[in-house]
Amino acid sequence: MDQTASINQGNPARPDSGSSGAIFASGLIKQYKNANSPALNDFSLDVQPGEFYGLLGPNGAGKTTAISILTGLFPPDSGTARIMGMVFRESENKIKQILGLVPQNIGLYDKLTARENLTFFGKICGIQGKKLAERIEQGLEFARLADHARQPVATFSTGMKRRLNLAVGLINDPQVLILDEPCVGIDAQSRNLIHEQLTAINQRGTTILYTTHYMEEAQELCSRIGIIDNGRLVEEGTPAALLQQSGRANLEELFLHLTGKELRDS
Amino acid sequence: MLKIITATAKEFLLLLRDRTGLLVLFLMPAILVIVITLVQENVMELTGQKKTQVLFLDLDQGDLGRSLQTQLKTGNLELVVWDENRKDMAEIQKAVANGDYQVGIVIPKDATYRFKEAAARLFQPGKGTENPADSMTTPLHLFIDPGIMAGLRSGVTAQLQMALTVMSQEAKITMLSKTLQEAMAGLNVPPEAAPLDSNKLPALFSQPLLTLTENPSNTRATITSYNPVQQNVPAWALFGMFFTAIPIAGSILRERNSGIWVRLMALPVSPLVLFAGKAIAYMGICLCQFVLIALIGAFLFPLIGLPAFTVSMNLPAVLLTVLFSSLAACGYGIFLGLICNSYEQASTVGATSVVAAAAIGGVMVPVYAMPHMMQRLSIISPLNWGLTAFQDLLLRGYSLSAIVGDLGRLLLFFAVCAFFSWKLAGRQQ
Repeated sequence: MDQTASINQGNPARPDSGSSGAIFASGLIKQYKNANSPALNDFSLDVQPGEFYGLLGPNGAGKTTAISILTGLFPPDSGTARIMGMVFRESENKIKQILGLVPQNIGLYDKLTARENLTFFGKICGIQGKKLAERIEQGLEFARLADHARQPVATFSTGMKRRLNLAVGLINDPQVLILDEPCVGIDAQSRNLIHEQLTAINQRGTTILYTTHYMEEAQELCSRIGIIDNGRLVEEGTPAALLQQSGRANLEELFLHLTGKELRDS
Repeated sequence: MLKIITATAKEFLLLLRDRTGLLVLFLMPAILVIVITLVQENVMELTGQKKTQVLFLDLDQGDLGRSLQTQLKTGNLELVVWDENRKDMAEIQKAVANGDYQVGIVIPKDATYRFKEAAARLFQPGKGTENPADSMTTPLHLFIDPGIMAGLRSGVTAQLQMALTVMSQEAKITMLSKTLQEAMAGLNVPPEAAPLDSNKLPALFSQPLLTLTENPSNTRATITSYNPVQQNVPAWALFGMFFTAIPIAGSILRERNSGIWVRLMALPVSPLVLFAGKAIAYMGICLCQFVLIALIGAFLFPLIGLPAFTVSMNLPAVLLTVLFSSLAACGYGIFLGLICNSYEQASTVGATSVVAAAAIGGVMVPVYAMPHMMQRLSIISPLNWGLTAFQDLLLRGYSLSAIVGDLGRLLLFFAVCAFFSWKLAGRQQ
């Protein structure tokens, strides 16, 4: 992947309204009730088709709010969000057909087996018959859970659940995949497998927006990284360019430099 | 449509995998209907709606005791006759005082003689009219447990008084007839010239001039007395149905509090489809609940001494009532799952609201037995709408057209719950 692209600073990703970005946000503002400051404050983003984009930020920076708006879970107070050029208000169903979401909390039914989970979410996406059967087998193979297909998810380890969580997010073969910290709390083997699989998916042309707290993970996987803090993008660029421009030894140092060392407990 | 089927199948699978939860859903109303019906059956005994056992000790062993037994057996009392050679009045008193029996009657020795003598003296010239109350009454001894309800006490004493009045009248008329015959004979009046035949007097006096005939309260129904089984089976089945609101709310909260709800909302499916899947699955559970409780009523109740439950009248209308009631219950469960933030909250709010609605709606105590204000309040309870429909069908013998209003209210309740749930789901995304 090309990691030598330029670095942008200070709300760097505000693109033209006619951007061809796969994932596009411009001037998003979201203020929750009873909150002192907005969760998103003029947040802009432009992820190109086929890109593997990492969105980094401390707790409460606005990552999950941004993802929620970009997946149509709720609308922004103001600003624009588009997926493959389409806005939710006009083309919600079309967007949902090409969008995959892997939520931070595991979105699986514990009492159903791996196969039953894949079957249910596949059918809810409108996939049927032979195509569904193929996707289920692909999903089980992808998550390396073919031997555990008939086991209830409740019996799975965290790593197995995370892998299946990802496989379910891919059941509709999405053009755009949004992952909210998909590798939290899992062992190195499962994380490595997920990384390999995501890289392969991205190489096949799927656009990926990936949020994580692991800097080395972002550095390893992402072609471009955006750092969000206080509801806006404060830095954006390729990992190499970000390090080169900032003179920091690694992304973690840069991250702490940009977002500060104060704890973000609230 | 395929997505609704998918959502329904998923809910059924989840329910089948949660065997403990499923067992509770069926066991809870089944246990309640058995226990409450048995308790109410006993309450009916205590309130005199069932035969009450009365200890009977006849120390006289004459006509009076035999006649009184005959009279009382025709009423709502079940006599337990003690052997006069082995028991005495003190033992009857003790049995009643201990609460073993609620009522005891003792016919003292020589009661028949005194009774007949008193009747004869009434018609002897110059003897019967001086002070009959003091000298001529025959005291029978009655013992009543002070712990019994006022209704039963007055019911039992009224029956006893009635029996004694009838016996006194018969004795008086017999004596009057005899006295008249003797008077006619003394006056040398031939029987055919007498103004009335004195032998016919007892028959004439026993001829009722007024009768009371109970008619059905509507043209279609037959006369049936209050039966706790016909009341309790649908009532507690309804309670069980509305209690499914809690597991429905729990299933929504599990989805909301995990990543499932977020994932589903990012997929091309409407929350209404998901709600429909839940509603259909849980309506199936409600239907099974009703069938189970009806089977308990029909087959188990007779084995434990209760009347059998019957739904022979208008079965399709009964099933339609089950369907609409469960629809309302599911709508409430979905709404509960969206307004509450945790399962603990939903179970507390759900249990409290369902028990309150059941109490107001007449599930626990019939509406007519409530204070006037509560009776007026009962019309706001969905359980009351369901129960009224069931009672119209099962007790009053009405047809489907009579319960359309109640079914409409249940449907409207579901629609309102579904609408607000849909709005809340949109807000919570």
